[in-house]
Amino acid sequence: MWCMLERVKPPRFRYCEARSVDEALALLAEHGDDAKLLAGGQSLIPMLNLRVARPAVLIDVNRIAELQTVETNGALRIGALVRQRRAERSEPVRAGAPLLGQALRFVGHPAIRTRGTIGGSAAHADPAAEIPCVLSALDAEFELRGGAGARVVGASEFFVTTLTTALAPTELLAAIRIPAPSARARSAFLEIARRHGDFAIAAVAVSVELAEGGAIERARICFANLADVPYRAHAAEKALRGARIDDERAVREAAEAAVGDASPASDLHASARDRLDLAKVLLRRALGAIAAGGSA
Amino acid sequence: MPDRPEITGTLLQKPQYVGTRILRTEDPRFLTGRARYTDDVRLPGMLEAAFLRSPHAHARIASIDVSAAQALPGVHGVFTGRDLAAVLAPFVSTVAGRGGVRPLTQHAIPFDKARHVGDPVAVVVADSRYLAEDACDAIAVEWEALPAVVDPEAALAPGAPLVHDDVPDNNFAHIEFASGDVERRFAEADRVFSKRFHHGRLSPAPLETRAVVADFDRSTGAVTIWTSSQTPHLVRSLLVPVLGIPESRIRVIADAVGGGFGLKCQVFKEEAVIPALSKLVGRPVKWIEDRREHLAASVHAKEVISYLDIACTREGRFLAFRARYVGVNGAYQAHPWTALVDPMTTAAALPNLYDVRDVAYQIDCPYTNRCMTGAYRGVGRTPGTTARESLIDDIARELAIDPVELRLRNCIGDAPSVSATGARYDGGTYRACIEKARAACDYDGFRARQAAARAAGRHLGIGFSPYVEPTAWGSDMAKVQGYVASEIFDAAQVTVEPDGSVSVSAGLHNHGQGLETTLAQVAADTLGVRIEDVRVSMGDTAVAPYGFGTHSSRAAVIGGGTVMRAGTEVRRKMARIVGHLLEVSPEDVEFRDGAAQVRGVPGKRMTIAEIAAVAYFGGARRPPDMEPALTSTRSFDPHEVWPNGCVVAAVEVDVETGGVRIEKLWSVEDCGVLINPMIVEGQTAGALAQAVGGALLEELAYDENGQLLAGTLVDYLYPSSTEVPPMEFLHVETPSPVTEGGMKGMGEGGLSVTGAAIVNAVADALAPFGITITRTPLSPTTILALLREARERRAAPTAA
Amino acid sequence: MSAAQPSDAKRLVTLTVNGLERSGVAEPRTLLVDFLRHELGLTGTHVGCEHGVCGACTVRMDGEPIRACIVLAVQAQGASIETIEGLADGEALHPIQQAFREAHGLQCGFCTPGMVLAVQSLLEENADPSEQEIREYLSGNVCRCTGYVGIVAAVQRAARKLAGAE
Repeated sequence: MWCMLERVKPPRFRYCEARSVDEALALLAEHGDDAKLLAGGQSLIPMLNLRVARPAVLIDVNRIAELQTVETNGALRIGALVRQRRAERSEPVRAGAPLLGQALRFVGHPAIRTRGTIGGSAAHADPAAEIPCVLSALDAEFELRGGAGARVVGASEFFVTTLTTALAPTELLAAIRIPAPSARARSAFLEIARRHGDFAIAAVAVSVELAEGGAIERARICFANLADVPYRAHAAEKALRGARIDDERAVREAAEAAVGDASPASDLHASARDRLDLAKVLLRRALGAIAAGGSA
Repeated sequence: MPDRPEITGTLLQKPQYVGTRILRTEDPRFLTGRARYTDDVRLPGMLEAAFLRSPHAHARIASIDVSAAQALPGVHGVFTGRDLAAVLAPFVSTVAGRGGVRPLTQHAIPFDKARHVGDPVAVVVADSRYLAEDACDAIAVEWEALPAVVDPEAALAPGAPLVHDDVPDNNFAHIEFASGDVERRFAEADRVFSKRFHHGRLSPAPLETRAVVADFDRSTGAVTIWTSSQTPHLVRSLLVPVLGIPESRIRVIADAVGGGFGLKCQVFKEEAVIPALSKLVGRPVKWIEDRREHLAASVHAKEVISYLDIACTREGRFLAFRARYVGVNGAYQAHPWTALVDPMTTAAALPNLYDVRDVAYQIDCPYTNRCMTGAYRGVGRTPGTTARESLIDDIARELAIDPVELRLRNCIGDAPSVSATGARYDGGTYRACIEKARAACDYDGFRARQAAARAAGRHLGIGFSPYVEPTAWGSDMAKVQGYVASEIFDAAQVTVEPDGSVSVSAGLHNHGQGLETTLAQVAADTLGVRIEDVRVSMGDTAVAPYGFGTHSSRAAVIGGGTVMRAGTEVRRKMARIVGHLLEVSPEDVEFRDGAAQVRGVPGKRMTIAEIAAVAYFGGARRPPDMEPALTSTRSFDPHEVWPNGCVVAAVEVDVETGGVRIEKLWSVEDCGVLINPMIVEGQTAGALAQAVGGALLEELAYDENGQLLAGTLVDYLYPSSTEVPPMEFLHVETPSPVTEGGMKGMGEGGLSVTGAAIVNAVADALAPFGITITRTPLSPTTILALLREARERRAAPTAA
Repeated sequence: MSAAQPSDAKRLVTLTVNGLERSGVAEPRTLLVDFLRHELGLTGTHVGCEHGVCGACTVRMDGEPIRACIVLAVQAQGASIETIEGLADGEALHPIQQAFREAHGLQCGFCTPGMVLAVQSLLEENADPSEQEIREYLSGNVCRCTGYVGIVAAVQRAARKLAGAE
């Protein structure tokens, strides 16, 4: 991504603000592949500054009110443009998706989260990012709007590969729905990064539903930065079913199974092997934290 | 070297301000956004420049087509290396008087080939930086890639690709030194310990990047250059031969500077290019380096590969040190100190505070296809200290001697002495600082806590790193550090103005050190005036007397000394006026709180304002032989000054994640007389934090093709508030016998040695695993790899 | 209302800065920090990395801290911006500024404006933060000089001042 020097100012682009979803969709229909939606801009504008992204048209959706609502109606529905800082402070979000609340403090820094949006982070689809990881763990659904109408896709369909989602060039992400948590759900989000606020070397989002007595009825586990999309650890989820959360051997076996066929990248900050090892440690610790206190 | 005036003695008999935690007088303008940094300079008609830089580590420039760029609206000129060579003479960098060094001639912008990622190949002048970047996009360069040499030891091998075609072995310098009979000592020793330590590549990376504004006036042939520099006069002097403009017609202004840390005590080619552009286009030109240029193409530092051998007795008495240092330079020489600034000073500090008479070293300083290396706070000392102190901890573990005890056993005595490498220590508290540090960190308590934690599966560690370090660079210090032919001093002017207020002007530079406050403290005590009546200014060569600027922990000692000298002259003149008017001996006149008082005669008193009025406008009221005015300019070039201290780090290592958490850092420092303990502690804190970065986070890594892997702040990791631990500062105050006022320098020690303390603490934490640390930074991936190797080593015999 | 057509033409941006209405011309690509510094002459806000990492350009937009190097000037149309120039009351430093001076929370001063505004937001959200909360909140504002020792102490001191305890 960082290939050119001496560029820190955006290249010229054409800009307009959309005031409604329909307006945004009309603009997308007209400019399609040449256009990029500007939400919080906390990933896009750095890419513009460094001139690694050079869209001809920027459609600013920040003033579209209908994308900024948080609703609870059984499921939690978060408008794509809800800012991360607002979600972090939102009682309905904390109640309807405690795991998201736990993860948000790891997303950049406060002055990033005041601009960055939940939907923007999801649509950016960086596999190292916290929000896509949590949304995958929570089996979130993504409401996509296009000229031809609306459709809803699950997380596994939404995240296609690094920086690529199921969104067509003429579609926008309108909202994210998160199913209501069970009363017996407990969750934890843990991350290893070089510094607080950095992208994760590896991170894990865990939500478990516990029966009376501590047996795991259902576990949902997702890792960040272990693959080109958020990595759902289905094997570990299965291995944990029926086990007691404080059963160290079961937890250890599940952790060993967790990374399965993941093939993470190596970079300056960690080798692929480190990432696999760290993922196992994170899962053990996350389950341990839940066992110890209900959440981490 | 001419004889220098001797130290005039302790001038601050009853200081009112020196020694106090007086708040900084410069703060309000920084806190309100009123400070003027170079990017805040705005001139009528000013244009902006951007450099096009090489994406290749090593590539021949087959052709450059700038026509499309030149044709863009708002573009005022596009210039290649050849265009600039017509108006700029090259820089010639060397270490004068030093054998074994090959001078390098370097053009402002190369025109044959690019030698590292970030090497400039053209520069655009346009109405704005935005348009200048658009024009960079439109320049077409045809490259012919050449094989890159990235590994410094491969660069020295026969047949390596040549970074400079006229430097056949890629080596800037080969230097050898020996004192005593090193080989015999090694042959006779009970034990010999050896280590190769590869210190990571860092950048000073001040938060303000480099920045230059130049305004060439065609009507006078004079140029004014605003630049983010620690050394405005040095910029001026060194640009004379390059720009071909007489020194009297170059004015260099460095107003507010957003951090330097040694990087900005060098003179950069861009500081010549921007004035040349102003001359070529006939308008003022601004260049603000961006962060990526800064990381790729300013200065890197501290990457030295040290091969170190220590001969010792089985009781742990050190007999001899032997070292080879490979300074991992990039493609050019940082002007004027060159890439030797790291390996040469690291070598000079080899024996440090250890009582070893037999010492030998060799230095090589190869070119590679990377960004050049240069000065960064604690120049040289950091890598050498880390290698030596880490090997000493290895020895302690091997010989089962407590590492603090081992250091005390080998420590020099407190009296002034001369080291095996010729350093003239001015006396200190070498053992006492180690002992004080040991007490401060509750060493025995820590060891008990460590044992308990280990039993519970947690890994705590503690590391020590004591030091004596060179500060207050004047001519003698430069010489012992290897700059054998340099004369280095500083000057200041002290003036009591006609209204009795005081102006101090110095050739130093203030970019965070609080010099406007500390020099005012010294001036106020020297003159006996109130500190609020003193104003200190620096940073403009049109105003300030000549100086070498602020670096090498020299400003407080040398600035303080010059102000004391000049202030003393002014005070003596005032005392003569008072003596003449009140008919008393000048010897009996004391100054305090802005007034002169005749000792023992309460009624005989004059205010400074009254004295000044006589000095400037009193005519016949002055002593008959006295010229008007109250001003003096004096210089100071101290003998060698060597403060000492000890840093301790306590850490916890998470052996599952490779994470290192520093619990706390302790710094004990004896820097002589403290002018302002608050500022001393602030300087120490900053140096310690930078060491945390170097030890754990920061690394300008290149891949094997010479691509920079840490080209943005997403990958070059500054320590932030969550990584820098709490710190405690302790002081010992032993006045230096060789400086005015007894100050020793400070500010760098923390960065010179704290990395070593952290490395030792991590190694101590991981001692049960039998690992040896041989490189920095200690990233999680490095620690995990060490633990993995240790496990595999242990598993191997049973498997076989 | 039909959709506006995208354009790269310069436009007038009107916003409130430190309580005063200000206007200036910006291209769509002009970064807010460049607009504040060069168009409006408010050079107290500094530029340290231009890719949203170092925090030097932190200003407040509609009461929240943001990084002005990764927001477009046109996006601030109609917004209320606070910069370091608006904090002191005439010659009287704001209690946070006073605390930074008293605790030696600055050296070269380059990170200081962004740091001080971040602290203002921190203390509005949390009047009595723990050291850990201070360190976590400020971890997006790099200081290369102080080692954060004086900064953490300054925040604690500012909190006491704002609570009327000092």
